[in-house]
Amino acid sequence: MHRHSYSLNNFTAVALLAAAAFAQPVSAAEPQPLSYEDDKVAMRLVLRNQEQLAGFYLGREFGAAAVDKILETCFFAAIIYNKNYDVLWLDLDHWQFQRDKVTIPRLKRDYWKEQWREIGLPQRHQSTFGWTLLPETRDLRRDESAGGNVAIPMQPEPFTLTARFHTGPNRQGPVKTIVFEDVTCPRDVQ
Amino acid sequence: MSARRSMKLLFAMLLTLLVWPALAAQELPTGILPLDGQDAPPLRLENLDGETWDIEQARGRWVFVHFWASWCGPCRKEMPTIQAIHEQLDPQQIEFAVINTAESEDMVFTFLGTVAPDLNPLMDTDGLVTERWQPRGLPATYLVDPEGRLRYLALGGRPWDTPEYMNFLKRLIAE
Repeated sequence: MHRHSYSLNNFTAVALLAAAAFAQPVSAAEPQPLSYEDDKVAMRLVLRNQEQLAGFYLGREFGAAAVDKILETCFFAAIIYNKNYDVLWLDLDHWQFQRDKVTIPRLKRDYWKEQWREIGLPQRHQSTFGWTLLPETRDLRRDESAGGNVAIPMQPEPFTLTARFHTGPNRQGPVKTIVFEDVTCPRDVQ
Repeated sequence: MSARRSMKLLFAMLLTLLVWPALAAQELPTGILPLDGQDAPPLRLENLDGETWDIEQARGRWVFVHFWASWCGPCRKEMPTIQAIHEQLDPQQIEFAVINTAESEDMVFTFLGTVAPDLNPLMDTDGLVTERWQPRGLPATYLVDPEGRLRYLALGGRPWDTPEYMNFLKRLIAE
């Protein structure tokens, strides 16, 4: 098991590329990303403040109602880079969110589909939103990265994310576990 | 033929069988995956002028099918490299289907006008064509052969204008 570190490294370039998807003016209060890296994998969480999140989606012509739905949640980006495994399996159902040893359910795509139905979000915005989410599953090949947003219900206190990845072409390699502790929802880190 | 010579020949054949697939795989640039050759999904979209383009009309030529959006950082970085190869490759051998996923005409016009003015984007207005193709993310590029089969997938953004990728494409369309 590994704990996150804050070191800057080669993964920074990958993370910045993905982060550029949400290019917004940098504010003084911009929170720092949480990152982990070893010789086989790199992972980073990017916690944007609510102003940045709203700016991105409003800039894509999403309405205020849609933005409100997003800001109601604890919404953050995760970027995973498979540096050196044959295959690194991203499977969000193997990620665990916990606070005070209580599991927090992840808000999956069905949740968003229901929110968008409720407010009548146009299909093209639903499509764009879907592409900004982290894939539910992905067989990440060597030198491949995946980035996107993940959401859980808003948390008033910091939480722990335990991300488990199977490895190897048949998922039979060692399980890689990366733990980020004291992750704070964007609302609290402004 | 002596037993010794037969053994050498057999060894050479075995070596060839073992090494050839590896050599063939090495010829692919980084991040290019071979696909199983199934038929490409339907692709029929309008460009910014309202003209319809259908992948069926590209039979006999390779097609560079690229999905992108202007909000995606790697897409923005990759697009000028696509513009560069578009200028250098023979349109009789390869067509470019540069598909914007679910953005407005203004957004697309503004972005491409500055970084890739010669590309003629196709508009997947509601994003449903992109979803039918099931790319691994944005950006995504598929190479469809002259018979309309999916032959290669590029993982994420690639520096298409570098010799590694340019030579690969030139070899491909010369097949």
